[in-house]
Amino acid sequence: MRSLLSFLLLAVPSALVSATEYHEQLNLRPLPLSALLASFNFRANTSIADFEAQNFRLFPRSLGQILQYAGTRELHLRFTLGRWDAESWGTRPWDGTKEGGTGVELWAWLDAETDQEADEKWLTLTNALSGLFCASLNFIDGTRTIRPVVSFQPEGDHPNTTLDNTRLLHGVLPHEVVCTENLTPFLKMLPCKGKAGIASLLDGHKLFDASFQSMAIDVRPICPSEGECVLQLEQTVDMVLDVDRSKRPHDNPIPRPPPSHDLICDTTKPYHKPDDSCFPVDHLRGQDWTLSQIFGRTMKGTCPLTDPEVPPVCVHIPSTRDIFSAQGAHEIKYPNNDSLRCYHIEQDKEFTLILTKPEAPVDGEVAPLGIVKPETPVLYAERSFTGHGQEHGGMQAILTNPGDDTVEFVYMESLPWFMRVYLHTLSARISASSPNTNTSAEIVKQIYYRPALDRARGTQLELLVSIPPHCTVFLTYDFEKSILRYTEYPPDANRGFDVAAAVITTLEPKAMNIRTTSLLLYLPTPDFSMPYNVIIFTSTTIALAFGGLYNILVRRMVGANEAPPAAIKDKVLGFIEKLKKKKRTVAAVAAGGSAKPATGKTEAK
Amino acid sequence: MPRLLSTALSLRRDPRLLKIPPYVSAFCIAIGVVWLLLLPLDDYSRRTYVSENALLPGQVHTYFGGSEQSIFRGFRHEVDLLASKNNYEVNDKLESILTGFGVKVGRQNYTYHSAGEIYSGENVYGILQAPRGDATEAIVLVAAWKSIDEQLNRNGVALVLTLARYFKRWSLWSKDIILLLPPDSTTGTQAWVDAYHDAHDSKHIAPLPLKSGALQGALAIDYPFEHRYHELHIIYDGTNGQLPNLDLINSIVNIAGGQMGIETTVQQMAGHTDSYQDRLQTMLRGMLYQGLGYPTGPHSSFIPYHVDAITLQPTGEGWHDEMAMGRVVEGSFRSLNNLLEHLHQSFFFYLLMQKNRFVSIGTYLPSAMLLAANFTIMAIFLWVKSGQPMAKKGTADKPKDGRNLLSPLALVATCHSISAIPLFIFNHLGIKTLPLAFLLFSVSSTVLPAAFSFLIASLHKPTSQFFQLTKSFSLLILGVSLATLSTLNFSLAFLVGLLASPLTFIQPTKNLVTKAFLAILLILTSPPVIISSAAWTSGVAMSEVLKAASLGWNVWGMYTPIIVWCVWWPAWLIGMTNTLSPISKI
Repeated sequence: MRSLLSFLLLAVPSALVSATEYHEQLNLRPLPLSALLASFNFRANTSIADFEAQNFRLFPRSLGQILQYAGTRELHLRFTLGRWDAESWGTRPWDGTKEGGTGVELWAWLDAETDQEADEKWLTLTNALSGLFCASLNFIDGTRTIRPVVSFQPEGDHPNTTLDNTRLLHGVLPHEVVCTENLTPFLKMLPCKGKAGIASLLDGHKLFDASFQSMAIDVRPICPSEGECVLQLEQTVDMVLDVDRSKRPHDNPIPRPPPSHDLICDTTKPYHKPDDSCFPVDHLRGQDWTLSQIFGRTMKGTCPLTDPEVPPVCVHIPSTRDIFSAQGAHEIKYPNNDSLRCYHIEQDKEFTLILTKPEAPVDGEVAPLGIVKPETPVLYAERSFTGHGQEHGGMQAILTNPGDDTVEFVYMESLPWFMRVYLHTLSARISASSPNTNTSAEIVKQIYYRPALDRARGTQLELLVSIPPHCTVFLTYDFEKSILRYTEYPPDANRGFDVAAAVITTLEPKAMNIRTTSLLLYLPTPDFSMPYNVIIFTSTTIALAFGGLYNILVRRMVGANEAPPAAIKDKVLGFIEKLKKKKRTVAAVAAGGSAKPATGKTEAK
Repeated sequence: MPRLLSTALSLRRDPRLLKIPPYVSAFCIAIGVVWLLLLPLDDYSRRTYVSENALLPGQVHTYFGGSEQSIFRGFRHEVDLLASKNNYEVNDKLESILTGFGVKVGRQNYTYHSAGEIYSGENVYGILQAPRGDATEAIVLVAAWKSIDEQLNRNGVALVLTLARYFKRWSLWSKDIILLLPPDSTTGTQAWVDAYHDAHDSKHIAPLPLKSGALQGALAIDYPFEHRYHELHIIYDGTNGQLPNLDLINSIVNIAGGQMGIETTVQQMAGHTDSYQDRLQTMLRGMLYQGLGYPTGPHSSFIPYHVDAITLQPTGEGWHDEMAMGRVVEGSFRSLNNLLEHLHQSFFFYLLMQKNRFVSIGTYLPSAMLLAANFTIMAIFLWVKSGQPMAKKGTADKPKDGRNLLSPLALVATCHSISAIPLFIFNHLGIKTLPLAFLLFSVSSTVLPAAFSFLIASLHKPTSQFFQLTKSFSLLILGVSLATLSTLNFSLAFLVGLLASPLTFIQPTKNLVTKAFLAILLILTSPPVIISSAAWTSGVAMSEVLKAASLGWNVWGMYTPIIVWCVWWPAWLIGMTNTLSPISKI
């Protein structure tokens, strides 16, 4: 896990785990077009002894007590909104380990001897966290909880003895809308509460206007090779801001058309005429911003509790671009990485950062990108529904390996019970253009499947997949849509039902996480409006009445003596009956005095 | 109950009862037609209203305008420069423009074969990802490169590009916006929508490289001319007469009329005076389009997949410009963006009389149902009658108690099975042979009944019971089919029912004058004659009609040919055979 934090450790080579410490850092990374990735990282350590003695200092008491009460060994909570555009933005921040699927995702290792005990503790945990984070985490019930087998591994250092007695549970709420009410408790858990340091930049208006944002909380025990074990609380906020959108002033956020003299036009076009025709080329213009513009606030010094060794702000940008910082800030450059600049800041001074416009290219020259080129991700993943109609559907995941190494990963789906998966239709098809002709069996190496139980638990599907270099794999399966009970539909039944994102954990060539987008599943929905109920009711009545009336009018009724002579079938049956009767009579006669009942029977006929 | 039973039984034996059904049938037809004519009256039609509260049409301020016009003109110049280029060059340029805004672009090749012709092209589309969205829902903005009238949709395409750039700046979108730029208004969207729902024939149509979530609505712009316009024509008919949710039309009418002051119109009824006559004309035009089931614009392909869609077409000379059009689209997209659920509140079955007046299915359905019922009543009547012993003679020749079902069923089955022949030939022949095939078919369709009647007369001595039974079965099938159809495509059921209504009253007769009269009436209402006279009246060449029908079948899955050739034509064939048959001497 620590290797995954290279992103951070690169900047903090000397960061060692000490018993009690706190540090925070903001990484800014301009992305293509007008996107800007801002990664906030806050990390607090507390010794296990202090934690168990309920001696909270940097670790928030509210969370600590919940963890103790619910017997939680390790906790991961994610709030995510929007989607990461891997095609233009490249690799995910923290290799995707600090983001969740759309909505809320929670997984934890709980101290439990049995599954039942784990469920009870899980219920306690979700309900308590629900209150703490103002999120509907209490809706993570049995139908939304799974127990992943291969996808998740503990990140902290657990002694083997405790790990044997823990259970991993994973729950996800894809429909949960993350908003400011979740940010407030998040900020409250920080030692400086968003009043000082980089947290003072976190403004709900900007955070939730971002194209992608993910808030993560990780609690894990860390045992360094020497020294005592500590419990680490790591809080992360990653957001991709749209610079143009963020730069709009707070009091005038409407993107009105700019005055025509502000348009950036391609003047080489023959038809170009100011105030009349303009071919816009503003996308070729590079980014320029100041810290206060894009976050809507200035940064208020540093948090006094933070480790002074760690520079609080870092920018990833080519060394050719000019950045100006506020007075008193001290810029650090790293010889081994010339596209990284970090800033030490004085504690009480406001800090700002100004990225100037890139130099305009000389005519005839291609404008330089002006940003650090995003790294190509190990794997692209996309998932969508196939088919139409209200009865059946299909799922298709398109997984592309753009690199030169074979990628091995675990593909995990947690599906709602009303989506009945036909596992026999699961197939993996490799793109026809690729030279390799692997069969389905070679692509999907292992399947772990736990079928759904109606109204009790959802489907859990984990696949170990490996994709050869430069190949695309189409993973498809079909499913059937269940019909819910009348009362099981939510008030917005026609919206559809959210299906949680698939989680992809790569194992080779490097460990990282990818989550697909969530999906909207339409189920057959009854028409809840009154006229249709009336129509159905009257139609039934008419059908019943018509049946009776039609019978009376059309059926031919005749007296028994007028009945037509019996058909052949009747004759044959009558003959058989006669034979039987004869036999019986013979038997009765043979038996002697018991002939009477037989005769009686005959008479009855 | 027993008393009721005995009354019913005695009533059933009353010979007068048997005289009633033909009159009931005629009455049904008359009522059905009158019912339809009453619909435009104020008492029977209703004013439209927006049923889905989330739409809030016209409640937002639209900002599209100002310097966006310069950009619009810039893009229009680009479109003009591409006018003479081929599909792929056009798409290369459109792709580069769209990618410039940060829109994800995909392309899709498709080929359709119909009537010996190849319809192929490449769709280009962009997905403007909702800034904070999660790719679960999407709305579509369509501008075909060629408008419905095969002109260069220069303002439409330029407007879509400008709007895409403008929409990109807003962060309020809750749904992805898909910008679809097919090469033509007919086949391109169909290929795209099919592939989006994975219902495409993968041999001829490529899958989509990029996808978004469930489609919630679509809006097409058909705006080929340059001059300022007076009103917006809303085209809403989908394939097979399916219609978009009425709320969508209401919202656009509301936004265009209430907010922008642009008049809206439906069914090409410019200058609608809201008189009875205009209303009736609008309704009949709507019924004609619905009955044909032929797609009327790029939006039509979306509707079978339950994606509500319309095409906006500016018409007339006036003072509104392309920016006003852009604001209408902006306002509509803002409304669609508000939707929390798929459009489901308002009506899917309606007839529009005016942009703001409609009748719903409950009100208009009885008229088609009555027409269908007339056939069923007659069928039941004939069945009962065929079971009655002959009134006049009753000796050796009289069929023994019961009905001889084999030969009538055989005739009906034969007629229905040979109906596969026209269905097959009209949908598989090439354009060059189609008019000839139609001519040959028309002739043979007229000759066939005579041949049948001759065959019947020579092979099998037909009794009147035979005719009663064939007619009964044939009308039963017709009645049941039309009653079912009327819930799916009311207009088609009504039109076929009306045109087939003479079939109820024909019967074999000895009187030569009556026979000739009936035969001529039937020939005049035969499917081939009706089709060719309709083509002649509307001034369209027969070959065009046949080509369009074939295209409809092969590309859009239009089922009108099935109704015409496999429901109406066999019924007519049996009716004509009955008329021409010499009545037996019994």
